[in-house]
Amino acid sequence: MPSKRFDQAKPFAALGIVVLAWLLLPVVVKSFLRVSFFEMQAPIQAAASYVRDLQEYWTERAHSKNELIQAGNELRHVYAGYEFQVQQADALRAEIARLEELLRLPSNPDFRFEPARVARRDLSGWWQQLVIRKGANFGIPVGAPVVYSGGVVGRVREVHAYTAVVDLITSPSVRLAATIEDDSRPVSYQGGLNPPLAPARGLVEFVPPDIFASATTPKRLVTSSLGGVFPAGLTIGSVTRLEASTDGLFKSGEVSLDPRLSELTEVTVLVPLHPD
Amino acid sequence: MHRRWLIPFATMLLLWSLVMQLNHYLAPHGAYLFIGGLLVTFGALRLGLRNGLAASLLTGLAIDAVEPVPFGTHLLLFAVMHLVIFRIRTRFPREEPIFGVVVALLANLALFLGLSFVTLGDHPAAGAAWLRIFADLGWSQLFIALTAPWFFALQERALGLGRVDLAEENRHPF
Repeated sequence: MPSKRFDQAKPFAALGIVVLAWLLLPVVVKSFLRVSFFEMQAPIQAAASYVRDLQEYWTERAHSKNELIQAGNELRHVYAGYEFQVQQADALRAEIARLEELLRLPSNPDFRFEPARVARRDLSGWWQQLVIRKGANFGIPVGAPVVYSGGVVGRVREVHAYTAVVDLITSPSVRLAATIEDDSRPVSYQGGLNPPLAPARGLVEFVPPDIFASATTPKRLVTSSLGGVFPAGLTIGSVTRLEASTDGLFKSGEVSLDPRLSELTEVTVLVPLHPD
Repeated sequence: MHRRWLIPFATMLLLWSLVMQLNHYLAPHGAYLFIGGLLVTFGALRLGLRNGLAASLLTGLAIDAVEPVPFGTHLLLFAVMHLVIFRIRTRFPREEPIFGVVVALLANLALFLGLSFVTLGDHPAAGAAWLRIFADLGWSQLFIALTAPWFFALQERALGLGRVDLAEENRHPF
C-alpha cells in the first residue's frame, strides 16, 4: 500500500503549517493580495449600482408629465430657498475671513464637495460600512469626512482605484468628538447600538452632569471642531437618554440616529483643500 | 485541471455577490445574511481535498478583501471548517441534499460564532450587539435552509458543464 503524503496523513498538522506560513507571509504580499481581491470584485459592485440607477431612471420615466411638472415646481421652491441661504453663507464666510484677518486667527479647513453614489451597503451586527463609487480617481483621501443632507455619515476608511469604503457613524469603530447643541463643552460619541429590525443608535459619554436629555426633550448632538476631521456644527443625532456614569463625574447615554443612514443612495465626501 | 477548483470558486463568488446585493436591500430593515457555511460545504463534501480546499481558501480571501476584518480571518476560518467537514464526510451520506443542508447549517453556525468572537473584542456594547448578531444568525440559517439545495445543484451542474467528473473526485479524495 503506497504511503500517504504528509498532508494526506495529517491534514490538521498540514493546516497548522499553512497557518504558520500565512502568519509569516510578508505584509506587502498580504496587502497586494487584499487589493487584488478587492479590485477583482469592485466591478461587480459598481455594475450592480449602475443597474439600480438604471432601474430608478426607468421608474422615473414611467411618471406622467403632470407629476414631473409638479415635482419640478416643488424643487423650484426648494431651490429658491437654498439660493438665499447660499447668499447668506457667502456673506458669513466673508465676515469670518475679515474677522480672522483682523484678530490674526487660524482659518478653519476648507473643503471640496465630492458627491458619490452608494454602490453597496454592508450593515451587520459586526460592522457598518458603505462602498461608494468614487475613489482615488477623484482624489478622495483616507480619513475624509462624509456627510449627507441630514448630517454626518461617517469617515472614509479605505480608498481604492474607483471606489472607497466609508465607516458609518453607526459602526462601533467610529468615535467622534462632539458637543451638545448650545453647549461648548466636548463630549464623546461612539457608534455600536444596532438592534435588529430597528434604527441604529449611538453612545455618548463624558457629558457634563448639568445637561439633561430624554426621549421627550432630546438634545441635538453636533460635531466639534476639536476632532480635527469634521467641520463643527454638523448633526450627528439626538441625545434621548442620559444617566450618571459609574464614576459619577459625567453622564453617558444613547443617541438616536437618523433612520435615513441605513438607506442612503448618495453621500458627499468633504475633501480638504489644504491637507496638513 | 484548473476547472476542478476554478468552477466551484466561481459559483461561490457568484452566490457571495448575490447575497451582498441582497444585504444591500436588507440594510434599511436591520437584517444581514452570512452564508459562509453554505459556501464551503459542497467543496468539503463532494470534491477532493486539494480542489475543494483551494476553492474555499480563495473564497475566504475574496471575502476578507471587502470586509473590515484582519486579512486572513475568513481564510483561516474556512480552512478549518473545510478540513473538519472533509475528515468526517466518509461516515455520512454526503451526496444526499438533506445531509448537505444540515452540514451547511452547522458549519454556518460555527463560522458565525467564530467570526463574532473575532470581531466583537472592542465593542462598546457587546451585550446589545449579540442580540443583533443572533437575529442575523436566524435570518442566515433560514436563508441557507431554503437555498442550499439549489446551490448544491447549481455547483454540481456547473461542474458537469465543465466536464469535471465528481465520481472521479470521490475515487481520489486527495
